[in-house]
Amino acid sequence: MNKKKTLILIIAFVVIGSVVGFFLNSYIETLVITFLITAMAGMGLNFITGVANQFSLGIAGFMALGAYTSAVLSKLVFNDQWYFVPITILAGGLVAAVAGYLVSLPSFRLKGDYLAIVTLGFAEIVRVMLLNWNFVGGPRGYNFIVKWPNFLAAYSITGLFLMITFFVLYHLKISWFGRNLWALNEDEIAAEVMGTPVANSKRLAFMISSLFSGIAGGFYAHHMGYISPGSFGFIMSVQILIIAVLGGLGSLSGSIVAAAVLTALPELLRSLPTGDTDIRMIVFPILLISLMIWKPSGLFGREEIWRVDWSKIKKLVSKKGVSS
Amino acid sequence: MRTVMEIKNLNLAFGGLKAVQDVSFNIFENELLGLIGPNGAGKTTVFNMITGFYRPDSGDINFVDQRLNDKSPDEINRLGISRTFQNIRLFNKLTVLENVLIALQQKEKLGWFESVFQTKSYLLKEASLKKRSLELLKIFDLDHLAEEFAVNLPYGRQRKLEIVRALASKPKLLILDEPAAGMNISETDDLKKLILFIKEKFNLTVLLIEHDMKLVMNLCDRIVVLNQGQKIAEGRPDQIKANEDVIVAYLGQRSRKAQT
Repeated sequence: MNKKKTLILIIAFVVIGSVVGFFLNSYIETLVITFLITAMAGMGLNFITGVANQFSLGIAGFMALGAYTSAVLSKLVFNDQWYFVPITILAGGLVAAVAGYLVSLPSFRLKGDYLAIVTLGFAEIVRVMLLNWNFVGGPRGYNFIVKWPNFLAAYSITGLFLMITFFVLYHLKISWFGRNLWALNEDEIAAEVMGTPVANSKRLAFMISSLFSGIAGGFYAHHMGYISPGSFGFIMSVQILIIAVLGGLGSLSGSIVAAAVLTALPELLRSLPTGDTDIRMIVFPILLISLMIWKPSGLFGREEIWRVDWSKIKKLVSKKGVSS
Repeated sequence: MRTVMEIKNLNLAFGGLKAVQDVSFNIFENELLGLIGPNGAGKTTVFNMITGFYRPDSGDINFVDQRLNDKSPDEINRLGISRTFQNIRLFNKLTVLENVLIALQQKEKLGWFESVFQTKSYLLKEASLKKRSLELLKIFDLDHLAEEFAVNLPYGRQRKLEIVRALASKPKLLILDEPAAGMNISETDDLKKLILFIKEKFNLTVLLIEHDMKLVMNLCDRIVVLNQGQKIAEGRPDQIKANEDVIVAYLGQRSRKAQT
């Protein structure tokens, strides 16, 4: 990505922030922050599941670790001062990364569904552990977590971390480490024979992914102000997996777009007429399923948005227009 | 001649099946050694032990002055042994260039910090890696396909690319697992020239596993014959052709009677 594009992105980011911050209501503000957090988690998951092809269903577990660590630290150590929150969030990310290392130890020989089951099991262990740990509130959850003082602080700090996440993961993806991961994604045996340290690469990818998942979890805690074990259940893992798949496995910018779509769509569909049944809950899955049928590789496949060949897509669209 | 690889009393059993029994042979520097045998003779098993996919039950595999028994496949590659596969295993959805880059970059010192910040020195290293990959591809007339996905290449070129990728990791010993499988006569002929060419050009020792007898007899300096997990013969191609045990192993007992 060149400097011009980066500049455009930053300007767009500032403009969106100030428009939302100064002219729109707090409902939109909450949505924007939620979008930033899910995008961050989506990219974290995309790095391990999309680039390295290690199917993980346990991202909620890593997010929970990050969230609880950050919440407890900021309350007990930093006296609820919000400007220390970025530090506690980083600490939460590190705890999640250590957990990622521990999970990768027994599971780096597993693949596909088996790895998914192990990671799912890990997330459940974390959830049940938190549920039974009175120190962090048990099933009642952890309340009165220090929140950001206003929207602009929340937006700029979360946004900054989102950019850092993208910056780091994207550069890793296109560098030697990313190539190693693509190689083991394609063919583990061939990668090993070509000298790629397969086990080590997987372990590091796992740690990097859980680091950013933990950070996303921390932001979630300080955005909500209240967390409970129930908020980090299986559903959350699946939602973030959907973001990674929808945007395209391996496409980090795709995850950001998908996070925007999946945050906005359920809200937009709220305006649908609701009788006794919530039509929203029918329309939403139908949209997802149809996308999976017609575009199974996700919106952008493996490529980043700016590298997608738009001319091909335009041709395709115009052809369809002619035939119909 | 200097010994590159020394295989001593190698044994491996899968449950009750003794796949490899007491196999010993040496590979000398700059030679082209053929490993042949009927189906199920244990060729691939020996192969997989050399490249680290199986651990031998007993025996030694020594490469130059390193013991390979407990090393993992990627460590073995970095010591200087590279291989191709019987059924081609390219990184299909990566480009031809990336396929070579992955093999080439393993011996390079590339850091984390510099790749995250894409520093100038890193970009220079990356550019020189790409240049070297393209030069290597050019030798095999594949450079114009560098941006093509590996899966889109025709079969013969995929085989070639696999050999290029194996060469990119700068091996001392190159192991080819049935490179002529699925090729017609003229393609096999090209392959023969290719193998001789790379052996000269890159100063290699080559271990060849092959079913195509004509290719093996024409090409190899020495041949080791396996049958039912045991070594039954070793020698020059003309010696192997005349060896009674080898004829029995390939053609059966009766044909020997018919011959005499």
